Amino acid sequence: MSKLILKRLISLPFVIFSITFITFLVGYLAPGDPILAMMGSRSDPATYDRLRHLYGLDLPWYTQYGKYITGLLQGNLGLSFRYQGRPVWDMISTGVPVSFSLGIVALSLSLAIGIPIGLWAALKQNSLFDRASMSVMLILYAVPSFVLIPALRWINYQAYLRGLPSLPVAGWGKPENWILPVIVLAAASMGFMARLTRTSMLDVLRQDYIRTASSKGLRERRVHWTHAFRNALLPIVTVIGPSIAFLVTGAFVVENLFAIPGIGFLSVQAISQRDYPVIQSTTVLLAVAVLIMNLVTDILYGVLDPRVSLRD
Amino acid sequence: MEALAPARLKAPPRRLSPLVERFTTNKLAVVSLIGLIALVLIALVGPVVYIRDATTQDYTAINALPNVTHPFGTDNVGRDTLARLMAGMRVSLVVAFYVEALNVLLGASLGLLAGYYGGLLDMIVTRIADMLFAFPGLLLAILIAATFGPAVTQQFGGIGRLLLVAGSLSLVSWPLMARFVRSQTLVLRESDFALAARSLGANNRRIIVQHILPNVTGLIIVASTLDIASVVVNEAVLSLLGLGIQPPDPSIGKMITDSIPFLESNALQVFLPSAALMLIVLIVSFLGDGLRDALDPQSLR
Repeated sequence: MSKLILKRLISLPFVIFSITFITFLVGYLAPGDPILAMMGSRSDPATYDRLRHLYGLDLPWYTQYGKYITGLLQGNLGLSFRYQGRPVWDMISTGVPVSFSLGIVALSLSLAIGIPIGLWAALKQNSLFDRASMSVMLILYAVPSFVLIPALRWINYQAYLRGLPSLPVAGWGKPENWILPVIVLAAASMGFMARLTRTSMLDVLRQDYIRTASSKGLRERRVHWTHAFRNALLPIVTVIGPSIAFLVTGAFVVENLFAIPGIGFLSVQAISQRDYPVIQSTTVLLAVAVLIMNLVTDILYGVLDPRVSLRD
Repeated sequence: MEALAPARLKAPPRRLSPLVERFTTNKLAVVSLIGLIALVLIALVGPVVYIRDATTQDYTAINALPNVTHPFGTDNVGRDTLARLMAGMRVSLVVAFYVEALNVLLGASLGLLAGYYGGLLDMIVTRIADMLFAFPGLLLAILIAATFGPAVTQQFGGIGRLLLVAGSLSLVSWPLMARFVRSQTLVLRESDFALAARSLGANNRRIIVQHILPNVTGLIIVASTLDIASVVVNEAVLSLLGLGIQPPDPSIGKMITDSIPFLESNALQVFLPSAALMLIVLIVSFLGDGLRDALDPQSLR
């Protein structure tokens, strides 16, 4: 296990370098002169030079990259193009807790519902429950969020028309604002988790040690929960990382369509104002967050599965 | 004496029939293939038959329900939905085509060469793929499309924007194609038939083109068909975030989001593009599954 984690830790700086370097490169190659755009018609050479210096654009690229990296290490994401001299962090910091909590709640929900459904479907293989739940989960997995959102909103509206309880479809701050976005965000990974759990559990149930446990005369429940379930969980741990990555794209769509002031929403707003440093910072921030989550799940996997240390 | 002359080794004619046979037993896949051809025809030929501009606004018919002049109704600024759907589907399919072409040209060939030659080339290709993999989901495509989008549209117009969208989406998906092809090539390189070809004096180029390539073609076809589904969805995501195809040009993703505020009064304008998108995704997925079963590239199972 320690070897695996060591390997990951060694590759970590490389991956972070890739993320920051590509992001920096894209910003560096961005067409147009941001300073000229910023000054508009009030252009005079002295101010131009001063601003250019303030943004560090008068430096050679490697110095710019160096400053960028040292800035990032100190939690400085750079300056906004749109609002002169305003740090990017000021603009998106309010969105970080919003997106983060939304993501965590959605991920927990998808695990809390997806795994039990998958387990139950595996134990009742080929039953009506198995087929029905797996079809629903397949649909949840396959339908993109921007199709699911109007569908849910429409159902919600029909409920409202009939005087049934309905939910708000936009806005943020009240607890009921969370329900629809969390459902949409969790849907795809829930479908994926449920189907994966079912496959994994069926796989484990066919193993020799399960037959041994059953033939020893252990109760079915004990075989299922102590012997099968724990082993069936392992593949699920490995996909938590990728599904967090999936949530990132989902957050962009969900936040924008529900007008939730998370980083996805704030950065798309900034993009429409051509404030590129904001989207650069968002990219670095989210990529590193996913990276750390991946590392944590890898470590968790190593803790859960002692065979990992033998294999790697 | 002619009969004793060494017979020129000739490859037996390739049998296509078992492949076709296996494919046609899967009814769903056959229906999907027909469906895909129909969709392509509708997207390409449709505008010739149904002559209606997708961007013209008819202020006398705003948010209209289906009627004689507008069979699928109109959107919130009175644009004909059928015309926009056909144009939007064309955009989706064209973007998907460009992305897969890039994936094959870039991803598959780099994967093939990296897997076959190994060494420095392999290291460089794997490293670049790893760098691109470090970005979760669509993040890199969003970054590229957002940064270069406005300038590209200004300079090259709608076509340029379309190519930028395709390019940025391919950036997220070619590494996967390269990885698939590379791992398959690694196995094939060590296979007995490759060794046999080498011992008969075949050079690298001949081994790659004649022996390895035919064995990864199935994998490439299946992987790119299955990938079309996610490309179509991703293009819609970029467009609905305002980073893809620019208005007034129609895109399915933009059609959906633009109509969501009017969901309560005219739900059809949201559900028609959603249905079109899901149709493309389903058709491509079933077709990919059928092709996979028929071509049987094990590594994708």
